[in-house]
Amino acid sequence: MLHLLRYRFLQTIRNVPVMFWALAFPIILGTFFYLSFGNAGLESTGESNWEEIKVAVIKEGDSSENSQAFETFLEQMDGEMLDIQDISQEAEALEALNDETILGIFYVADTPSLTVARNGLNESILTSVLTSYNQNASMFRKIAMTHPESIMDAMETMKDYRKTTSEVSLGGGDLNPNVQYFFALIAYACLSGSFLGVQSSVDGQANISALGARRSITPTHKLTLVIIDMAVLLLVHFFNILILCLYVSKVLKISLGNDIPSLLLVDFMGSMIGVCLGVAIGCLARISYGMKTAVCILCSLFPGFLAGLMIGDMKNIIELHCPIVNRLNPAAVLSDAFYCMGIYNDMERFTRCLLILALMSTLLLAAAFLGIRRERYDSI
Amino acid sequence: MQSANIIQIENLVKRYQNLVALDHLNLTIQEGEIFGLLGPNGSGKTTAINCLLALLKYDKGTITIFGKNMRPDSYDIKKQIGVVMQNVAVFEQMSVRENIDYFCGLYIRDKARRQQLVEEAIAFTGLEEFTKMRPKKLSGGLLRRLNIACGIVHKPRLIIMDEPTVAVDPQSRNKILEGIVELNRQGSTIIYTSHYMEEVEQICTRIAIIDHGRVLATGTTEELKQMIKTGETITIESIVLDETLVAGIRKLPHVFDLSYEDQTLKIRLGTARHNLVRILNYLQEQDVVFGRVFSELPTLNDVFLEITGKELRD
Repeated sequence: MLHLLRYRFLQTIRNVPVMFWALAFPIILGTFFYLSFGNAGLESTGESNWEEIKVAVIKEGDSSENSQAFETFLEQMDGEMLDIQDISQEAEALEALNDETILGIFYVADTPSLTVARNGLNESILTSVLTSYNQNASMFRKIAMTHPESIMDAMETMKDYRKTTSEVSLGGGDLNPNVQYFFALIAYACLSGSFLGVQSSVDGQANISALGARRSITPTHKLTLVIIDMAVLLLVHFFNILILCLYVSKVLKISLGNDIPSLLLVDFMGSMIGVCLGVAIGCLARISYGMKTAVCILCSLFPGFLAGLMIGDMKNIIELHCPIVNRLNPAAVLSDAFYCMGIYNDMERFTRCLLILALMSTLLLAAAFLGIRRERYDSI
Repeated sequence: MQSANIIQIENLVKRYQNLVALDHLNLTIQEGEIFGLLGPNGSGKTTAINCLLALLKYDKGTITIFGKNMRPDSYDIKKQIGVVMQNVAVFEQMSVRENIDYFCGLYIRDKARRQQLVEEAIAFTGLEEFTKMRPKKLSGGLLRRLNIACGIVHKPRLIIMDEPTVAVDPQSRNKILEGIVELNRQGSTIIYTSHYMEEVEQICTRIAIIDHGRVLATGTTEELKQMIKTGETITIESIVLDETLVAGIRKLPHVFDLSYEDQTLKIRLGTARHNLVRILNYLQEQDVVFGRVFSELPTLNDVFLEITGKELRD
C-alpha cells in the first residue's frame, strides 16, 4: 500500500502540466495581482484611500438616554467615517438604500439597529460600528452619569475607530477591498485541483485509457486504487493550496487571518471539492482528455470569475441580484469563508460556509466515487 | 498427454447496439500453448480479450479461466494473468524501473520478492541500461519492451499479448519474439494477437482465425494450411501470353486461380503432384518463352486471406 502511495505521489507531483495549473498558475496570477495593485493598492491604511460610508439615521420612538447617546455617537462619526445623509423618513431612506445611494440605515432607538441591503466590506464596517457601540454603550452611559465632562473624550476615542478598523479588522486581517481578489484567487486555486482529479480519473478508467485498463486487470482491489489515488491527490493539492496561502501571506503580505485551524479546514475542503470535481469530469467517457482539460479550465475559472477573480465586486453584485448563485458557487463560498476568517470574524457565517463546503465535498466525492469505482464497462 | 484447458470460452455474445462484435464465440486454450489469435481489424479480437479480462460486459456466454468463472472480482485469477496491451500503458512521469516496480507492486506485496522480480524483468527485456530513463526518452522498440516488462514482471501463468510488436523495428521485434518463446518455455501460456502473419507462424503452437466475432478456423499452422484450397503458387516472370494461352493454362488440372499482370503469371493450384512439371510442359508445347520460375507452398497469409476474404477492412 505504501509502495503504491509513494509511486502515485511521485507520478502526480512530476506531472508538470497538471501541477502548473494546480500550483504554479495561481501563484503567477497572485504575483500579477500584487504587481498590478502595487503596494499602495494593497495598503490597508492610508487616509487618502478612505471613503466615508453614506448612511441615513432614522429616529424611532421616544428619545431615551440610550438613543440620545447613540445619536450623539453617530454625529461624532459623521464626516470621519460616516457620511450621514439628510434623510429623516424611513420610506425615503429605504428607497435610497435600494438605489444604493446609501449603504445602510441606522435606527436610533432604545435598542439601536442597522439595516443594510447586501453583504460587502462597507456593510461589514457599518455592522462593526453598531457592534462596537453596543459593546461600549454602558461605558458611555456611566461616563455621562459620573463624569459628563469626559463624554467628549470618550467619543474621541470612538472616533479613532476608523483608524483602528482600517488597520486591523475584527478578524485580524486586511480591510483593503483589493484583498478580495486574493481570496477569490485561493478559491480558484482550490478548484484547480480538478486538473489533478481529471488525470487520476483518466489513469484509472479502463474505458478511457490503456493505463486504466492495465490497472483494472490487476488483483489490487479497485476500491484500494481509488482510495490511494484520492488520498494522494488530496494531500498534494492541499499542500498546493498551503503553498499558495503561504506565498500570499508571507511573500505578498496579504493577511489571511490568524485562525490557522480554520484556514487549514477551509483549504482542505476546497482541495477536496477541486479534486472531486476533476475526478467527476474525468469520468465522462465520451470526451477527449484535451476536452476534459478545457472543461476543468471552465469549471475553475468561471466560478472564480463569479467569486471576484477578475472583477472584484462581482460577488457583491451577484449577492444583490441572485444570492443563490453565491451559495452554489464553490469558489464564492470558499472566498466567503476566507472573508469570514480574515476580515469579518463572523463565526456564524463561517460555520454556514463550512456546512455548504462540507455538503459540496460530500456530493462531489460521492459523484467521483460512483464514476470511478466501475470495474466492468459496456464498451472500451 | 492432453494438457489442461486454461481458458474456455463458450457461446460468447457481445453486442454494441445493432453491431454484433462477438457472435457465439467458442474458444479453448490449453496450458503451455502459444495461442495465436488472428483476425482482420474489427473482427472481435480485442473485444474477446477485454471480455476475457472481465473489463467488458457481455450479453451471453461463459468464460472460464483456470477452471473458474472469470468476474471483475476474480482477484485470485487476475493474480495469475499478465497483459501486454496494444497501446503502451506506462506512466510518463516515472522511470523505467519505477514503472516496472509500480506494476509489480499491484501483484506482489513482498518487497524483497518484488525487487527480485523487477531485476529479472529488466534483464529479460534487456532494459538494464535504461532503468533511470523516462518513457518519453525511449525509442519505440524500448518502449514496447518496457510495456512487456510491466505486463510480465510478476511471472504470470497466463500472458495475454495484444499486438505487442506494432511499430517496432525488426531487431526489436526479433528480441520480443525470442522473449515470448522464452516465457513460454518457462511455463507461461500465451495468447498472442498480431497482424504480422510471419510472427504468428513463427511462434504460435496453435492459431484461431476469427472474423465477424466468430472463430472461422482453429489448428496448428500446418492444419490450417490443409484447410485451404491453395496447395501451391507458381510464379513465372517475363512471360508474354495472349488470351488463348491464358485460357489454356486456366483449363489445366488443379488450377483454380490465375493472374497475369506486367508479364508475370501467378497460378494458384490445389494440392497435387507434378503441378510445376505440368505447367512447364504446356508452355513448352506452346513455344512460350519465359524467365524465372518459382513455386511456393501456402503461407499463413494465404490461409488468412482465403478464410477471411480479400476485401479491405477499416
